[in-house]
Amino acid sequence: MEQKYQVHRGLYDVIKTLEEQPLMKMMADWLGGVFSAVDEGKPILFNQFTIFSELMVAMDIQPLSPELWQVVSLQLNPNACCESIDAAQDAGIHPELCSANKAIIGDIMLDKIPPPSMVVLPTFPCDNSKITYQTLGYLTGAPTYFLDCPYWMDEKEAMDYWTNQFRGLISFLEENTGKKMDYDRLTEVVEESNRCIDYWLEGVELLKLQPLPLNGPFTSGYLAGLTSLGLPAATAAVKASRDDLIARLDKQETAVAEEKARVIWFYYPVFWDGGLTPWMAEIGAVIPVGLVGYYNAEPIDTTSPETIIRGLAQRGLQSPMGKQGRGASELWIDDCLHAVDQWKGDCVILASHPGCKWLRGCYGLFRDIARERGIPVMVYDVDLFDPRLTSAEESRARIEQFLTTVVFK
Amino acid sequence: MTALDELTKPAASLKNSYIERWKEKGGKVIGYFCTYVPVEVIHAAGILPYRMRATGSTSTELGDIYASHITCTFCRHSLDQAMRGEYKFLDGLVALFSCDHIRRMFDAWRYGKIDLPHSPYYLRCLSIPFKVDDLAVEWMVGEIDRFKQSLESHFEVKITDEALRQSIRTYNEKRRLLKSLYELRKKEAPPINGAEALAILIASTAMPTEEFNQILRRVLDELGERDGFSEYKARLLLGGGELDNPAYIGLIEGLGGLVVSDFLCYGTRDFWDLADEDSEPVAALAKRYIQRISCPRMVDYPERDKFVKDLVKDFKADGIIVQRLMYCDNWGCEGARTQWEAKKDGVPCMVLEREYMMSAVGQMRTRVQAFLETIGR
Repeated sequence: MEQKYQVHRGLYDVIKTLEEQPLMKMMADWLGGVFSAVDEGKPILFNQFTIFSELMVAMDIQPLSPELWQVVSLQLNPNACCESIDAAQDAGIHPELCSANKAIIGDIMLDKIPPPSMVVLPTFPCDNSKITYQTLGYLTGAPTYFLDCPYWMDEKEAMDYWTNQFRGLISFLEENTGKKMDYDRLTEVVEESNRCIDYWLEGVELLKLQPLPLNGPFTSGYLAGLTSLGLPAATAAVKASRDDLIARLDKQETAVAEEKARVIWFYYPVFWDGGLTPWMAEIGAVIPVGLVGYYNAEPIDTTSPETIIRGLAQRGLQSPMGKQGRGASELWIDDCLHAVDQWKGDCVILASHPGCKWLRGCYGLFRDIARERGIPVMVYDVDLFDPRLTSAEESRARIEQFLTTVVFK
Repeated sequence: MTALDELTKPAASLKNSYIERWKEKGGKVIGYFCTYVPVEVIHAAGILPYRMRATGSTSTELGDIYASHITCTFCRHSLDQAMRGEYKFLDGLVALFSCDHIRRMFDAWRYGKIDLPHSPYYLRCLSIPFKVDDLAVEWMVGEIDRFKQSLESHFEVKITDEALRQSIRTYNEKRRLLKSLYELRKKEAPPINGAEALAILIASTAMPTEEFNQILRRVLDELGERDGFSEYKARLLLGGGELDNPAYIGLIEGLGGLVVSDFLCYGTRDFWDLADEDSEPVAALAKRYIQRISCPRMVDYPERDKFVKDLVKDFKADGIIVQRLMYCDNWGCEGARTQWEAKKDGVPCMVLEREYMMSAVGQMRTRVQAFLETIGR
């Protein structure tokens, strides 16, 4: 019988051989866990890209972030999502939906992703996500739990409401697995995730240095969050990334010989174009921080189940893109300005992903503010999951023109 | 002028004689962007709630400074109108995270990009839950209280429980009358067409509700005497989001389809459910707004699917058209799912993409014509 998910299984076979590298081990463990769950009929939970894994790890539920599933396939083939995107559109999904979401719907239709037993997401950051995951629930019949986030979080009632959503999530997981949450195990998991996030924050902090020790952004923490945060392998992976930075600093190694510009890429990377960041480095432009690496969470107090749940809720408001997308424009704008200030950005480049209405809607206001502050900004159309809108060559031409005419001194 | 003429007029322009008279008497008007705004609270403050439209807009030139080309054209036109000063009759504006487009458009107001007629101007973005459960109702009680307090403080008014109860009764009365209107549309030969019904629904959000109710009662009397529409190829259920231009329905009806009911924002979603008149008023409103027939902003699709199926049956619809503004993600996936569900039930269904202003009319006409031919009798 032909095995399903050949692309991902193939990748798994490759990275399994690289397990001496902690980051590869973390990713291999995650993919291996997904395939074991498929083969053994264990529950798989779709965690949308702002949902971190602690509760699933504590209950031994296999997380599978569908967006990350897409990103993984794009590392092997830039066109990997195209077939699924087209399948979703052919089935009647509107073309303007975020291509990541179209790809997920198409993957389900084409049986290119293991079907979920449960689906969990917050009501942020965007309409794309909310309506796509409702569609996934419809197509797969999987029970879906939404963490309902208030628009403003400045009142105590808002945090209470949000925390109650996490209590509800635990009940949801218990109902759908028939298992009870073991709070001793959850405490261990959260203590482990606290350690992991410490390393993440340290790594992000080290990228503030000038010159940059290693071209960023610092992505391992986010990968850990989506795959296995709370497991020792995740902590080891993020620690290794942090240690790599320290080692480079000790040896006075820098990302590029001459740092001509620090680019704040305050969005997700162009996932199908892995060569873009190295190419930018070749012309002297480095990326110290992006939305993926931008994280600032407090350690969770593990003295009681209550403090843990509240801590997870608080941390749930900080996830990359989740934090910036859950409310008004200033959440993204202020963080972007903070990133420019703290990571000493010379300019901001914003990929204008065609599905991303919530973020595109901030750009006009941001342009005004950036102009007042003298921050050069470039916005350019590129689809992060589909190379058919803007080619790699076009991307490079646009970026080079901007950097050479506006930014490089 | 007939009562029907009277009630179909306000849809044609942003302002109307009722608003002008209200303003002349020193009345305040608050604009709002979504059917999830509990308008009874505004009404109980003695302020006229006005549902935002961009009727009459011809360009998005100014709005596009802050909106993007993937913002829906309703928001781009609305923002443009605002930047041109067309909403200066408003004393405030209330929005919520209805969708990504509206929340970002509202931010332009908050960031001071709109030249407001006076200061201080009332601006509020409500925090309305996306879920339909007891926790959400509880949250909504608090949110309505906060909304009420902010109106009281800004406009220096007192919103008493009795005023709120009266507003609930007034709006319930409006909703009952509209339901009576829709009952007439169930007839084999309905005395009112879809374009006229939409115009009435628009009027219901653009004039004092008490006056609207009085005139609508007269309309219902008039319609009792009116000959019905019997020459049609198909009875249609029209769904989707923002639609405030009766000419769109006119286009469909001009081709032989008769729109007999809807699941629209200016339609059943706005009036189908009543608030309890006997409960504590804030709690009654919270329950009504969370548990009403939802739109796709809410994560409650099984209830919506059931509602659509019931409408098809009750109004004997031969087909469904889901009209959708380009770039609207909520209605994009919802439209697809409505099609998939309709297919299971053997009900023809099409999704019709459109822009806010009438455009690509030829293409739409062709698509509707082809659809009607496949289902027409």
